[in-house]
Amino acid sequence: MKRFSKLLVLVFVMALIAAACGSSSEETTTTAASGGTEATTTTAASGGTEATTTTAAGAEFAGMMVEADCDDPTNTSNINYIKAVDENTVEIQLCTQDVAFPAKVAFSAFGIVPQEYLDANGGGGALVDAPVGTGPYMLKQWDKGNQLVMEKNPNYWGNQAITDTLVFKWSSEAAQRFVELQAGTVDGIDNPGRDDFALISDSPDLQLKERAGTNIFYLGMNRDKEPFTDERVRQAIGMALDRQRIVDNFYPPGSKVADQFMPEPIFGYTPEPKWYDQDVEGAKALLAEAGYPDGFEVTLNYRDVVRSYLPSPATVGQDIQAQLADIGVKVNIEVMESGAFLDASDAGELTMYMLGWGADYPDATNFLDFHFGRTASDQFGAGFEDIWDLLDEGASTPDPAARLDIYEKATALIKQHVPMVPIAHGGSGVGYRADVTNAQASPLGNEYFAVMDPGGRDTFVWMQNAEPIGLYCADETDGESLRACEQITESLLAYEIGGTNVVPALAETYEPNEDGTLWTFHLRKGVTFHDGSAFDANDVVASYDAQWDLNSPNHTGRDGNFTYWDALFGFKNNAG
Amino acid sequence: MTDHHDEQPLESMEASDEVRDEVRIDLSGGDVSATTTGGLWRTAGREIVRKKSAIVGLTLLSVLLILAVFAPVIAPYDPNQVLFDEGVAPRDPPCIHLLGCDPETPQHILGIDGNGRDYFSRIVYGSRISLIAAFAAVLFAVFWGTIVGLLSGFFGGWTDNILMRVMDVLLSFPSLLLAIAVVTVLGPGLINAILAIAIVTIPQYARIVRSSVLSIREQEYVSADRALGVTRWRILAHRIFPNTLTPLIVLATLGVATAVLEIASLSFLGLGVQPPTPEWGSMLAAERNQVFTAPHLVFFAGLMIMWNVLGFNLLGDGLRDAIDPRLGK
Repeated sequence: MKRFSKLLVLVFVMALIAAACGSSSEETTTTAASGGTEATTTTAASGGTEATTTTAAGAEFAGMMVEADCDDPTNTSNINYIKAVDENTVEIQLCTQDVAFPAKVAFSAFGIVPQEYLDANGGGGALVDAPVGTGPYMLKQWDKGNQLVMEKNPNYWGNQAITDTLVFKWSSEAAQRFVELQAGTVDGIDNPGRDDFALISDSPDLQLKERAGTNIFYLGMNRDKEPFTDERVRQAIGMALDRQRIVDNFYPPGSKVADQFMPEPIFGYTPEPKWYDQDVEGAKALLAEAGYPDGFEVTLNYRDVVRSYLPSPATVGQDIQAQLADIGVKVNIEVMESGAFLDASDAGELTMYMLGWGADYPDATNFLDFHFGRTASDQFGAGFEDIWDLLDEGASTPDPAARLDIYEKATALIKQHVPMVPIAHGGSGVGYRADVTNAQASPLGNEYFAVMDPGGRDTFVWMQNAEPIGLYCADETDGESLRACEQITESLLAYEIGGTNVVPALAETYEPNEDGTLWTFHLRKGVTFHDGSAFDANDVVASYDAQWDLNSPNHTGRDGNFTYWDALFGFKNNAG
Repeated sequence: MTDHHDEQPLESMEASDEVRDEVRIDLSGGDVSATTTGGLWRTAGREIVRKKSAIVGLTLLSVLLILAVFAPVIAPYDPNQVLFDEGVAPRDPPCIHLLGCDPETPQHILGIDGNGRDYFSRIVYGSRISLIAAFAAVLFAVFWGTIVGLLSGFFGGWTDNILMRVMDVLLSFPSLLLAIAVVTVLGPGLINAILAIAIVTIPQYARIVRSSVLSIREQEYVSADRALGVTRWRILAHRIFPNTLTPLIVLATLGVATAVLEIASLSFLGLGVQPPTPEWGSMLAAERNQVFTAPHLVFFAGLMIMWNVLGFNLLGDGLRDAIDPRLGK
């Protein structure tokens, strides 16, 4: 054992030396270890970013380790390394403290998949259509365009799902969802129409669960596209809208006008500063000052998909069109297919668009960092460095009061730069048949069906707004996809059912070191994946590395964006 | 059709001198021959007046035409004006003071749409878009269809082969599907929707004109022109083209009905007229989710589409019966 330890140390030292040398070409060293085990060190360098992958030898378990250089300026990741210490222990070393780290780890985009399945599919392919996880339900059939059928996982480590079968259906029509619920052909529906709230509440056959408005609906503008390159134009749009009129006329009860991007129930909300009051004349003056005295013509893109934050996209879009006409802005509405719309907005291809966000985990980083942080997508264009700096500081400040001060400043800068106009925090609800027990409306939109009993029936039928785009949720951002994934795959941690507190999932316990930069996760023993393979620490490292490392052969996904990982942790080998 | 009549005896037609001015048609086969009529159009006019269905069609279309022409006078509001400031709420039901609606409530005889606009005003202005778009699509299709048909039928050979194979390809697709494909390429919008519908209907007109030309070019008066040394283009323009008009007019009248429906369909799918322009198909699509809570918003838009299509179909049928002498026998 001593000999092995020495060898391990030697391997690490060699890896560090190789990394420090910064070779511009790829170099591979393989060292045979004694005692029947083998340790491999691979040093890969590309695009000026170095990374080291080490498979450390163990007595019976070859633990993987992937790492990056925190000091490399082209490395946008806050993770130093991810290491399988032993079969049931994973260590994650951060570059700087991240107080929201457990809440991020619990997010369903970071579900664990078997290493072998990941490798076999090159990080894409079947992972998207036929996921394998550890969750209470297993995918049985995805009849695309029609329904998604899951069956109970008989080997689930926790309490078995109550129903044998879980069926996901979808319809973008609120009326159809409501009719199906009334007819009893489905047991639960997401987002009843505005006018259906009262009908569901009043019906003895139905029950309504209201969902807190932990979301934001906003009108996004791309600062890289004319005429929004001029901050005054964006400010004019920010002042022109009568947001109260939109909420009063197009949102269900429980909705609120958005004072800022952060919803009030989520940590990071500060009462001040509030958004601009409506000022049509002021908006016209700003436009004139910016060289648009007669306004301009612009395309407004959206997807005709109902969300809690946007229950009526078409009417809201037309109202914004009518309101902006008052300041001389001619808006042409262009409706896009959901997946294409999200991809285009992420890529910064849209000039003005309607989009929103629902809380994935209850922290400011999920809202502010994801949208305005250093690693955010290009939806608002090039971003704002002054906001980046504040958000970096906020994410690494442990004191909550100090964090709130930082977020207040960040919110003020967002108000000044106006990358978007915050419009509404949409209240929403979930309708169920009255005989469904343990019915929930998750504030994070992740209803957990394994604990619901649809009046003793052996199938629970759920109808949501849209079909999942893909079921490898590491590479999805869509709530409809994430909800389906949450039944099949699991993360190291999870959120309590119907709530936002972080609870253990595949990791039974976890603890940080003193300065909050090293997190150790102790994995649950005896867990198996749906394909029968055993769950261990290497599955965690492989699942994370596929998302983290842009050079990984498994960094494939559906479209390869891995938006959540990029926004929450950042990529390594990210020369761009 | 059981009530076809032909008041014009065939014998008298054949005795007429105006051989080259009128044609006798068979829409199903496209067989066209010169006839002798002292005033087929006058006869057709009399025939239409006697056909109740055609009168109903004319009446329906007249109402639409009046709505379209006098829309600014008839509509109480600008169709795009949002009326939230006047105390209305989205999808308020119809309120007619004469029928007992509270006088304190603003009168909106067809109610308010989802965006707080007067629905009656939008229905009225919608007639303009619907009629203009449908006529434009049909005129465009008739123009190009006629050119293709004339060239194809008159010159024959390779010209005919190539043009007709292209037309066959277009005809092989379901028209709405092809229109959707065309709009997808061109981008959504009223002009592109008109173009799409026109493009997919060109083959119908091209084929009927070609079949007319094939028959007419063998007529004696055309042979006589040739013998006299009249140029081919002059024969095409002055002898053949005028004689292809009658079947074209009938087909175009029926085609307007189809165009109305297709414009509405494309707009319903979000590919045609874009908001906030009032168009019945897009209005229907916008409120389809509210069929249980605000049925009036779905009913009236649907009713207007039906009204329009029915009007053109009845008139087209009447016109066909009236100017095809053989149908009555």
